[in-house]
This record gives sequence, structure tokens and C-alpha cells, in this order.
Amino acid sequence: MTMNAALEGKVYPDATFTVELERVNVFRAAIGEESDIVPPTFATAAEFTVMPFIVGDAELGLDFTRVVHAEQEYEWHRRFRMGETLTARSRIASIRQKAGNGFLTIETEVFDRDGGLVVLARATMIERGA
Amino acid sequence: MPELRPRFEDLFVGYEIPGRTTHILRNQIKTYADASGDQNPLHQDDDFARAVGFPGVIAHGMLTMGELAHCLTDWLGDPAALVRLKVQFRAPVFVDDVIVAEGRVKSLDPKARTAVLDVWVSLERDGNTEYPIRKGEAVASFAER
Repeated sequence: MTMNAALEGKVYPDATFTVELERVNVFRAAIGEESDIVPPTFATAAEFTVMPFIVGDAELGLDFTRVVHAEQEYEWHRRFRMGETLTARSRIASIRQKAGNGFLTIETEVFDRDGGLVVLARATMIERGA
Repeated sequence: MPELRPRFEDLFVGYEIPGRTTHILRNQIKTYADASGDQNPLHQDDDFARAVGFPGVIAHGMLTMGELAHCLTDWLGDPAALVRLKVQFRAPVFVDDVIVAEGRVKSLDPKARTAVLDVWVSLERDGNTEYPIRKGEAVASFAER
């Protein structure tokens, strides 16, 4: 089964995401961050707030058990503020098939309450051929 | 420690930023799974990882990228100075690997006060150097804020 390429451009429902101290602390522990900053790559946690919509999208037909992360890009517009609640919105930027593997690129925009963009994330995953 | 921040005026093409070395541990990968929300069994279940062709669980690519970003924010002294980071994941990182994140200045824009950096993450395995991240690119801003 291959991914449904007709879904390019599909936008998933908004997900809310809070920059919680407890979770930031776990994230800092995982990457050995000893200062009190919110690591910029904490953005990954926001992307994974939306990921269940994509993994569970029967119309898309992505087999997450065959997924390997190929590329990742972030553009940060400002730092995260502890305690703030943000909105993550993902869209399918592209779906390609190459040499028996599927390539899925997801763009996730993370906004603050005023609608200001905090970070843009672009993730490309490979669905390895069965 | 703002006095330790690099000054834009001190940078030059080829300037090497201090590397960051990390010994990747199994419980660290589990902690990363919980912190990020990426619970893919490839990173937690050895049997699953073997079934898809790896010798055991592999670290999340994003954990490796997180270590690279940590290297950059340690150097910059300000997380907001890191404005862009783009990587490709080229080789798996296994439990017990020692990864080294590094970078060097590729170009400078004095008007915008930004630096483009070549960044990478390497490890030694069986006498060979492998690059979990080989040709990453970062942009750091030194604009007044």
C-alpha cells in the first residue's frame, strides 16, 4: 500500500500545546541541557501533538511502523516562553514515491495566542517499502 | 553568562565552534521518547528494531538534532540567536554510541549580522567515522535585540 498522493495540501485540525515546565524539564534531561532555557528543538514536542492526526489518517494510509525520519528543518521566529499555550497546525507539503519508498513532508506552524508565528517545522519522513 | 557570548566581529569564515560530545544511553532514548511524544517502537523495542534491519533500538534522529542544537545554543548563549537549523539524518545512532556535534562558520552577512554555519554530528564505529548528520546548515543571528 502506498500513501495517497492526492492528499498533498491537506491541513489537519489545530492542536493546542502548552510549554509546561515539567515536560520541558524531561526534554532538557534528555539532551543534557543544564541551563534554564527552553531548548529550541522542544518544537518537536509540538509537532508530535499533531502527529496522531497524520498517523491515524486512514485516507493517507501511512504505515508508521515503516517510517524513518529523513530530514528536519526549523525556522524559529522567537523563543518559547514557559507556560504559554500555543497552537500547532500541520499540512501535508508533499507526497512522493521514489525507488519503492514513500516520502512524506509535513509542515507544522506553531502560533501564539496573538496569531504570531513562533516556529515553522518541516519534517520529511521515509515510509520504507514493504 | 552573556560576557561569554561570541561577538559577531570576532567570527570569520572557517571559525570552529566548540563541539559537544554525548554518550547515548538507553534510558536517555526513553526519556527523549517521553519528552517529545515520539513513541515509535524503533526507539524502544529491540525485537522491533531487529525486525526492520537494525541490530537494536536506534536513537531518535531528533535526539541527535537536539544535541546538535544544544551545541549551538551553548555557544551562542541565547536560544533565540538560533534562527534556523536544517539537517538530513544519514546514519543510525545506537545505544552506547558516542556522538560529537560540531560546526564551523560558512559565511557571514555583516549587514544582517547573521552567520551561516556548516554543522554535523559524527561518531566512530568499528574504526570508521560515520555521520548521523553530515551536511546540516544553521543560521545564527547576532542582531541587536
